[in-house]
Amino acid sequence: MKPATVLAAVLLAASFAMPTAAQMPAWPTKPLRLVVPFPPAGATDILGRTLAQKLSEALGQPVVVENKPGAGGAIGSDMVAKAAPDGYTLLIATTSTHSIGPSLNPKLAYNAEKDFVPVVWVANSTNILVAAPNLPVTNTAELVAYAKANPGKINYGSSGNGTIVHLTAELFGSMAGIRMTHVPYKGTALVMPDLMSGQVSILFDNIVSAMPSVKGGKVKALGISGAKRSPLVPDLPTIAESGVPGFVSDTYFGVFVPAGTPPDIVLRLNRDINRILESTEFRDKLAVLGAEPVGGTPEKFAAEIRTETAKWSKVIKDAGVKLE
Amino acid sequence: MELLANLGTGFSVALTLPNLLYCFSGVLLGTLIGVLPGIGPVPTIAMLLPITYALPPVSALIMLAGIYYGAQYGGSTTAILVNLPGEASSVVTCLDGYQMARQGRAGTALAVAAIGSFIAGTFATLLVAAFAPPLAEVALKFGPAEYFSLMVLGLIAAVVLASGSLVKAIGMIVLGLLLGIIGTDVNSGLQRYSFGIPELSDGIGFVVVAMGLFGFAEIIINLENTEKREVFTNKVSGIWIKWKDLKEALPAMLRGTGIGSVLGILPGGGALLGAFASYTVEKKIAKDPSRFGKGAIQGVAGPEAANNAGAQTSFIPLLTLGIPPNAVMALMVGAMTIHSIQPGPQVMTNNPQLFWGLIVSMWIGNVMLVVLNLPLIGIWVKLLQVPYRLLYPAILLFCCIGVYSLQNNVFDVLMTAGFGLLGWIFVKLECEPAPLLLGFILGPMMEENLRRALLLSRGDFTVFATRPISAVMLGIAIIMLIVIVAPSIRKKREEAFHE
Repeated sequence: MKPATVLAAVLLAASFAMPTAAQMPAWPTKPLRLVVPFPPAGATDILGRTLAQKLSEALGQPVVVENKPGAGGAIGSDMVAKAAPDGYTLLIATTSTHSIGPSLNPKLAYNAEKDFVPVVWVANSTNILVAAPNLPVTNTAELVAYAKANPGKINYGSSGNGTIVHLTAELFGSMAGIRMTHVPYKGTALVMPDLMSGQVSILFDNIVSAMPSVKGGKVKALGISGAKRSPLVPDLPTIAESGVPGFVSDTYFGVFVPAGTPPDIVLRLNRDINRILESTEFRDKLAVLGAEPVGGTPEKFAAEIRTETAKWSKVIKDAGVKLE
Repeated sequence: MELLANLGTGFSVALTLPNLLYCFSGVLLGTLIGVLPGIGPVPTIAMLLPITYALPPVSALIMLAGIYYGAQYGGSTTAILVNLPGEASSVVTCLDGYQMARQGRAGTALAVAAIGSFIAGTFATLLVAAFAPPLAEVALKFGPAEYFSLMVLGLIAAVVLASGSLVKAIGMIVLGLLLGIIGTDVNSGLQRYSFGIPELSDGIGFVVVAMGLFGFAEIIINLENTEKREVFTNKVSGIWIKWKDLKEALPAMLRGTGIGSVLGILPGGGALLGAFASYTVEKKIAKDPSRFGKGAIQGVAGPEAANNAGAQTSFIPLLTLGIPPNAVMALMVGAMTIHSIQPGPQVMTNNPQLFWGLIVSMWIGNVMLVVLNLPLIGIWVKLLQVPYRLLYPAILLFCCIGVYSLQNNVFDVLMTAGFGLLGWIFVKLECEPAPLLLGFILGPMMEENLRRALLLSRGDFTVFATRPISAVMLGIAIIMLIVIVAPSIRKKREEAFHE
């Protein structure tokens, strides 16, 4: 680079940096938008809408939720990745868009690490392992023993190739040392009828959506996929404590802004959302979704994303999951 | 009489003033968005979800359900008047409804649609109230093998939808199958024909194809020839239905109600098949099948009844098993989740007020819809007198807004325009778009279920014959195929004799 160009670049950068710093206290002066990269009424959407409402009160500006579904969350995430980093465009995203997607699809339009600044880890949710009523097992250890005694008999349902439900089952199979047949569907809700009738043997499903069927005796609950038991079903052991030690699979939900967003804004958002996470009203809403509030610094969220990305990319590689 | 006691509970919930108001606002809003082409119940309910946060759960669900079946009513209005199917089931209504409107019988068609929907709604509500749990068990008997056979049957029946050439109908079905393949393959996660465009990775939306092929193409055709431009408003012969028409339509309505109710119970897109199945049956048993596609009243009455009956009975898998059978029901699950109610086997025992209140409100909503819609017919028909230079831009504008609202994406609007051009070419080639749409809907479902059934059977094809429900349906499909092919074989043989 020529010295003159360098000088010009420095001057240019300085001219941008100074007014930004000066204008800082004025943020936010107009409505913000929170992009939900999934369709309405899903867990991410409900979480996003609840958060947006609380955030509007905290910031004194409306926070408008915009659903931008498609391609497993990639379309909405990409939109935010390319949005102006002025603090007015926010994204609520999950393990799928920021840890699994990038490992699964090398041609993804956005770079999950470089195009975003993580703001805060909002919540964590775990899945429940449910089994067909006619499967002769009552807990995780019995399932593993049954699968080993009857090789090739277990089918597991999923919400599609490369989804967290699919990868969770792959991780479970490899850690338990059992082989199972993957039967993909267009969503876990669609697996339920075939699980109830016993054509599909097991499924990892959201706790909140699976529990009514468990309570109604239509399917059996075997274990919780997360690191600790769920307050929604305190009696149900985790998979790790009942047969497959070390097995953990959960989903993070968090807020992101485009890379280049002024650090002051990131910190302000982080502080406000952390405060929202402490309110009982917000915690109650999370409980309804089967999620637990997390919170903390942007660095804590960034570290979690790195850990999860490393974990799922290994699962993807070991199981040989490919989209091409 | 437990049923009566339960219905009593329902009426006591649904007949309170606030709930009546929510029901009314739901069906009114549903009718309006149904009439506006392209703006369907899915985006509307999605938009209203946050508002229902503050409502009691029963009121919220009553209103959202009202939007859903209100939109079914409203959707048939646009299908009949301007040949625009807002959703899959109204495609069938377009076939004969629009032809009736062209003949000046728009009023009759609209009245038949409203009355048919009401009769179906009443019957289906009773069915849900009386037999929901046992019917849900029937739904569980349908596994991937059964769905595959049902789709095969549906596709073969799709040939009947066409009133013209058999070869062209088959060609259009196959083209529909190909369009349906676009997107991510569920089994492998592979992208098919998406050309690296992320918007195509979830496939092409139904509304995009339907709006383009029916609505946009119709407008292009009408603009093309100014001399022949149709003015069918001058020959509107009365807006009220004649006794003779009703007598013709009534048996079709009853058959449609039965077919729609049964298929609506199936969570894998059964509700969708109701209207198509009813049309097929009506055409097959008609004394003069050639009238279909040219304004046969049974072709409107049957499918409209089936459509509404299916919309009601699709609540059965939702309320008893917690399985949402379509996108609207998935939103209802979301609405219930917001209110800490998980749809499933316990709703009936844990929340009897909600369960029965919702069911009774559906019937009340149907009464409101008839009262609302019959007087509106006059106004809708008048709408046709609006000059085309004003009507067409308005339709196009609403279509674009509607298509955009599906995914908040401009790409969808551009694709609709593309399908409009394609539709215009089809009209020029005298190819009918209805079989294409059925192939487009059924193709992906058929493939998915075929591969799923084979995964479960470890590659053994005999499952389709050894599972009884599947075997029966394949049997019917074979018989239908023979019935369709036989006349042309006989014709050939006669030709051979002549030589």
